[in-house]
Amino acid sequence: MRPLTPKRVAWICLGLGLVLFGAAVISLRIGAYPISVVDIVKTLFSGILGRWDSIPTEHRSIVFDVRLPRILLAVLVGASLSTAGSGFQALLRNPLADPYVLGVSSGAALGAIIALIAAPHVPGAVQLAAFGGAAATTAAVYFLGRRGGQLDSATLLLAGIVAASFLSAIIMFLMTTLSGRDLRGMAFWLMGDLASTLPTNPLPWFEALFFVFVVAAGAIYATSSDLNLILTGEQEARHLGVNVHRVKLVVYIAASVLTGLAVSVSGTIGYVGLLVPHVMRMLFGTDYRLLIPTSAIGGAILVLLADTLARSIVSPTELPVGAMTALAGAPVFIYLMRRRMR
Amino acid sequence: MEFVTILMQALRSPIAAVLFSALIIRAAPTFAAQNATRAVRDEVGRAITVPAEVKRIVSLAPNLTETVYALGLEDLLVGDTNFCDTPEAAKSKPHVGDPQNPNIEAVVALHPDLVLATTSINRPETADALKRLGIPVYTTDPHTVRAMLDSTSHIAEMMGAAQQGEILVGKLQQRLDALHARLSDRPMVHVLFIVWLDPLQSIGQGTFIADALRWAGAESAITSDQPWPHLSIEEVVRVQPDYIVFAENHLGATTDELADLRVRPVWRDLDAVETGHVLNISEEIERPSPGLVGVIEQLARDVHPEAFSAAKGLPVVSSSEKLATLTGCAEGFTTCAR
Repeated sequence: MRPLTPKRVAWICLGLGLVLFGAAVISLRIGAYPISVVDIVKTLFSGILGRWDSIPTEHRSIVFDVRLPRILLAVLVGASLSTAGSGFQALLRNPLADPYVLGVSSGAALGAIIALIAAPHVPGAVQLAAFGGAAATTAAVYFLGRRGGQLDSATLLLAGIVAASFLSAIIMFLMTTLSGRDLRGMAFWLMGDLASTLPTNPLPWFEALFFVFVVAAGAIYATSSDLNLILTGEQEARHLGVNVHRVKLVVYIAASVLTGLAVSVSGTIGYVGLLVPHVMRMLFGTDYRLLIPTSAIGGAILVLLADTLARSIVSPTELPVGAMTALAGAPVFIYLMRRRMR
Repeated sequence: MEFVTILMQALRSPIAAVLFSALIIRAAPTFAAQNATRAVRDEVGRAITVPAEVKRIVSLAPNLTETVYALGLEDLLVGDTNFCDTPEAAKSKPHVGDPQNPNIEAVVALHPDLVLATTSINRPETADALKRLGIPVYTTDPHTVRAMLDSTSHIAEMMGAAQQGEILVGKLQQRLDALHARLSDRPMVHVLFIVWLDPLQSIGQGTFIADALRWAGAESAITSDQPWPHLSIEEVVRVQPDYIVFAENHLGATTDELADLRVRPVWRDLDAVETGHVLNISEEIERPSPGLVGVIEQLARDVHPEAFSAAKGLPVVSSSEKLATLTGCAEGFTTCAR
């Protein structure tokens, strides 16, 4: 195993970044509206230069209001979920931890739905409520998952499953109090969906979301050396001067923020936080200093490709992206699990 | 042998006598009623046995409740659902729960001799459960506006009011024919019917709503085979509908859909939004009931105003208004078309 240098991290991230760029180009090209590559490039340049005279309104609409925002959203959600996943895996010292499996996504969804019912037009209310739901669920699952003061792997996963089904029951109850047609929209959103219409002025909204992502993901990244030590054993880490309690608190809050952020804009997209860190571990090793950035970019690639598929395979009908990630994620995860066991 | 003696004694006791006579008295009218029944098939092909004279009915769907009121048979209606809101009086009938999941015991407690259900909102399991309890369920299955008229006739017939049914259906058919004649030389306008805005969901060509739209001279711009397709917004930009049509009461509905769409990215650049061709019609467009005809007429007037100009005379408008008040269908009708 080669030693991990900042240079190696940079090269690997650059390589993955190029893959992500390629995925974005493909995604920009595909859609129900027929528009040629030449027209896309023309529209992009006109947009950058701010000269709209020669560009049809429809092209501007498709490129700048439909496809680019959706690509950004997929990147944001994918990166958030897999960073949160790698954070939860370190925090709970369990490779099967993931916002979806632990019920944290369901908690965020419940918070978001309550906000959608109670305060549908208050800006930021859905995001805050989703974060609150995620944080409360993480705490509940954490305490339920302990046995004799120790965090027990199997108990923890069971606690997550129970929390998820309990929260789903509350969500079902809330949804049945809405009328039948409202149910359809909510059900689609619950499966994970990136098609939501953007706010009137999307730029500051995107800036705010990316700012929150950078802060939360940065916080987890800042603890990566400590996480490496904690993963070898909490006692040992403590002896080496790591403030285990504080590191865990930071990761816990940051991972909950990231989950709440992703769920509030896209519903519950499953398996990303589980699948991507696993693949990255297999490719690049278990060092968290490399695992966190590669997981973030890998998650962005996965969700972007899944969403591109979701909106193109039965075009012009759209599938929920969460169904795509689960379809792809569950079998791959089973394969990974069986390989580990061998 | 001792057991038999005790039993004989028990049977001779006054209490047993009372119980027995009570059983016989209760059973007697049942036998009498069974003589006057008829066997029919409902619209989904179930064989049911209905008393010749139906006196107590329970409706399990809003459109059926509305049909019963339109026929003037509301006195026979002893129960409906929490969703039955049209006409206003339907809200004060005893409720048996939601259409998808009615409380079977509540239905039985109302002693109906006929229950009305419909495929679009009720589940077949409900009809099965009631059938096992000896309560006949007539299920309607209309997929077009014409089939809705047939269902109305069937319901009238089941309730022993074939004549009322004939009159009502005749009037409705007349209005539809008049509308058809008026719009015969008009090209179809292309509309995007919004079931759900965010995420975007519209209707397929095979739905009841699509058929109702066609009667109004409006064609759904979406050519999907699925009943409720989730659409890419890109498809809307591609087809550029002439009108965008909302039905009332969808979640997140603001008072003014047009103002909302004018500030939404992508939507604000659509031709229909720029020209203000955004309509909000009654959610009765989704209900296979007599009130639907009034909604169709209103929509036709909104999307084909030139066909209703004064030069063309006003017979449809006047007759529709008369019947609209009868069925209470044109209430709460709003439009934001300029």
